[in-house]
Amino acid sequence: MRTDIFENKRLGLYFHIPFCLSKCAYCDFNSSVENNAETLTRYVSALISHMESYKLCAKNHDSDSVFIGGGTPTALPEEELIRLIRAVKKTFNLTKGAEFTVEANPATVSVNLLKKLRRMGVNRLSMGLQSADNGELKALSRIHTRQDFLQSYRAARAAGLDNINVDVMFGIPYQTFDSLMKTLDFVTRLRPEHISLYNLKIEPGTPFFDERKNIKRLSADEDTELAMYVSAIDFLSARGYYQYEISNFARSGYQCYHNLKYWNCEEYLGFGVSAHSYFDGNRFSIIGNLRQYMDAVEDMTSEAPLIAENERIEDRERVGEYVMLRFRLNEGLNSMEFASRFGVSFEKMYGNKALRYVKAGFMTYKDGNYALTPRGMFVSNYILSDILEFEDLGGYIGNI
Amino acid sequence: MNDNQKNIRNFSIIAHIDHGKSTLADRILEYSDCVAKRDMEEQLLDNMDLERERGITIKARAVRIDYNHKDGKKYILNLIDTPGHVDFNYEVSRSLSACEGALLVVDATQGIEAQTLANAYLAVDANLEIVPVVNKIDLPSADPDRVRSEIEDVIGIPAEGCPAVSAKTGLNIEDVLEAIVSEVPAPKGDPDAPLKCLIFDSVYNSYLGVVVYVRVIDGSLRAGDKIRLMSTGAEFETVEVGVMDPFGLKATGELSAGEVGYLTASIKSVSDTQVGDTVTLAEIPADEPLPGFKQVRSMVYAGIYPADGSKYNETKDALEKLRLNDAAFSFEPETSIALGFGFRCGFLGLLHMEIIEERLEREFNLDLITTAPSVIYKILKNNGETVYIDNPTNFPSPDEIAEASEPVVSASLIVPTEFVGGIMDLCQDRRGVFIDMKYIDTGRVELHYKLPLNEIIYDFFDVLKSRSKGYASLDYELDGYEKSDLVKLDFLLNGEVVDALTFIVHADKAYPRARKIAEKLKENIPRQLFEVPIQAAIGSKVIARETVKALRKDVLAKCYGGDITRKKKLLEKQKEGKKKMRQLGSVQISPEAFMAVLKLGDE
Repeated sequence: MRTDIFENKRLGLYFHIPFCLSKCAYCDFNSSVENNAETLTRYVSALISHMESYKLCAKNHDSDSVFIGGGTPTALPEEELIRLIRAVKKTFNLTKGAEFTVEANPATVSVNLLKKLRRMGVNRLSMGLQSADNGELKALSRIHTRQDFLQSYRAARAAGLDNINVDVMFGIPYQTFDSLMKTLDFVTRLRPEHISLYNLKIEPGTPFFDERKNIKRLSADEDTELAMYVSAIDFLSARGYYQYEISNFARSGYQCYHNLKYWNCEEYLGFGVSAHSYFDGNRFSIIGNLRQYMDAVEDMTSEAPLIAENERIEDRERVGEYVMLRFRLNEGLNSMEFASRFGVSFEKMYGNKALRYVKAGFMTYKDGNYALTPRGMFVSNYILSDILEFEDLGGYIGNI
Repeated sequence: MNDNQKNIRNFSIIAHIDHGKSTLADRILEYSDCVAKRDMEEQLLDNMDLERERGITIKARAVRIDYNHKDGKKYILNLIDTPGHVDFNYEVSRSLSACEGALLVVDATQGIEAQTLANAYLAVDANLEIVPVVNKIDLPSADPDRVRSEIEDVIGIPAEGCPAVSAKTGLNIEDVLEAIVSEVPAPKGDPDAPLKCLIFDSVYNSYLGVVVYVRVIDGSLRAGDKIRLMSTGAEFETVEVGVMDPFGLKATGELSAGEVGYLTASIKSVSDTQVGDTVTLAEIPADEPLPGFKQVRSMVYAGIYPADGSKYNETKDALEKLRLNDAAFSFEPETSIALGFGFRCGFLGLLHMEIIEERLEREFNLDLITTAPSVIYKILKNNGETVYIDNPTNFPSPDEIAEASEPVVSASLIVPTEFVGGIMDLCQDRRGVFIDMKYIDTGRVELHYKLPLNEIIYDFFDVLKSRSKGYASLDYELDGYEKSDLVKLDFLLNGEVVDALTFIVHADKAYPRARKIAEKLKENIPRQLFEVPIQAAIGSKVIARETVKALRKDVLAKCYGGDITRKKKLLEKQKEGKKKMRQLGSVQISPEAFMAVLKLGDE
């Protein structure tokens, strides 16, 4: 067997496009409505400079996943999006068959554009449907309808995209258990390869947050949400979509390779405002201000900061991250693998607490494998904040 | 009377809270020129920050003022400050005993209030010459004539022509000084008799030991004298003797009959020098002590626990430091299943308790959990034994009790007529027994009630204030024990009794109280992964129940773009919250939740 030393390290790449045609009322991602074509062009150029500055450090890495997300990547002018993709391919060593995802808003795509993307090497499309109920879409202030989505979806298939993700949300104002099931029925009949099912979270700084009392009143209660979640898992599984992560479901063989890198503690580089990276033992993020970002990238010699936060992940924290991230996955955490990775036993570090959750039905244990049940996943923050110690979490608060 | 005594005037200032006692004291100091105005911190007499902030005087202080009378004679005026709150009635009475006269300050816009009356009666009991002073005449709504006639009608002392001043602006302050000299009698002690000094306050100082504030009644005291404290027989050698001028202690080497001053004698704790005790000479002791000494006894008890269990020793150190300076405060270690290791503390009253709590948190930077205040119940058991219970957890089971009794107070409330109905309802509701009602003037009445003390320490003040828009005032004194139908109310979380939440309550009150606290618990217990039943029980009988629903959802669904750090921070914040939680059996509860439940109000 050939040894791994001759093989390059693997690297995921993420590009953040912080522009949308309109901002949804629940969204707290870094995105804004930008109509100035010059700014869009300037931003893409900044992204290209930014990635080129990493060319050298990444020269011994093979990139096996690329994800262009947002915001709305398809809010960029077609030629700008293509210029970006071209630069990515030129700057990094993309492996053959690398997963290449572009996010798309159902209101912003055409067969023509999708065909071009397909030809450029984009092989996975992620579409934000959220709901198949037009009333619910309106409540979310989405700019598309169920019909828009259907049209875009068909266009994507016509363009030859054979790996499509559809985002669905639950906990939307006015959404009921039945309407969620109808949305899931609608989506699964289209047979996309992948479905993301997210629980709507009301985040500070969004219009939903300002209206949270109303939003909560109009949305299903927690008991219903749990029922939605558990039933959705069953429903999707019956239609051939298997849960592999808290919010992700796929037909066999179509798990999102890029997302898995996050949960597997693998390396990735993020470019653009508010993008996150895990590279060479460091986790860092890029500043969120669009102008400052472009200024900083355009003049790499300037003092202006580009990095918002940077932390070196040391041993104990690596353990903590591993536990935290593995428990997002359905397959959970294998104690053999844990021991060989860190040289200590999972049982010794966390066993007592984990067993409590096994007994209470929030976790399963089988053949050295610990995993959260659906009920456990839905309260995973609670469980993880109990199991993990401050040192596991970086000690941001605990060490003060 | 010797010449020395002829020119001494010992006096106090008494008033209802906010009627301007401290401001008047400042003006008197200023007028008599002993403090340059620019050097003066506002309200010099109130030494503690806390006192200044709350606008009340907690500990008595005294100051000696040299006053040049316009008749050309020099007078020594000793102003002995008094605490202004019902919790400190005994201290007030001892301070008054050190004086021959008292300035009764009445707000010209408010008139007589409950503490005006209570303090005036204390002064009358101490045989003091009362000099009324009408204050705040600069305010537009001031009505000095009405207030003067009110003083005459209600208290029965002449007030016509009494000083009418504005302590704030300094208007007519000279009249007050004139009145002190002309109205307040000079002291009449015998400088040749055996020494008798009245202790009216003492303060711990880390350099000098305890500084004992005294009024020499008879005899004289010199530095180096061997003294004896008559209540305990403890003896000390005097190190320093002197007077308090506005800038601090000034050693004079000698104090004699009629004078007010201090002594130090390397005394380690203020509990050795109790207020009201008599100091005499060890060699030539007085035959009998001065009358009126009482051991101060705590009336209200509560458990104080460090919110962070590892801070036990720090809490203990802090309590010890406070006790050095406060003989009325007591504590002993106790253990609670719910709260871990802590202390059962005794206080004079609710305000005293709040002050101690606040000082612990502020001066010692401690996070505390304080259990609900409790009074001392007297239980006659079936076996003939009488026990006093200061911790509700130790309340005997019903089958052991022959007779239970609780402390009652006789309370005086002064209430504007428009609120009388609401206040009478409140007293009724708090098991009060109506004694009588008197009109003070057309606008206000004085109500007398007999009330159980445990009703007063349960948010009575707050409700009183809210039902009278802040106008009603209250004063009370302890009036013995009365038989009462008391029950012990336990709270169970997930089937386990939480000892820190146990209350003693009158049987008639048990149901509403149980329901209220159960609701509060429901609101404040963080949701757990399982349902938490809350039960309130008397013995084995459950009288109220609530349920904390299980936590269903606590998940970060999206972890966008690989932002792992955010997730870690989120978990860590949750961890921080959990760290503070107390584990009660299988239930976790935060200190904040405890406090919210324990500090509940009815309105």
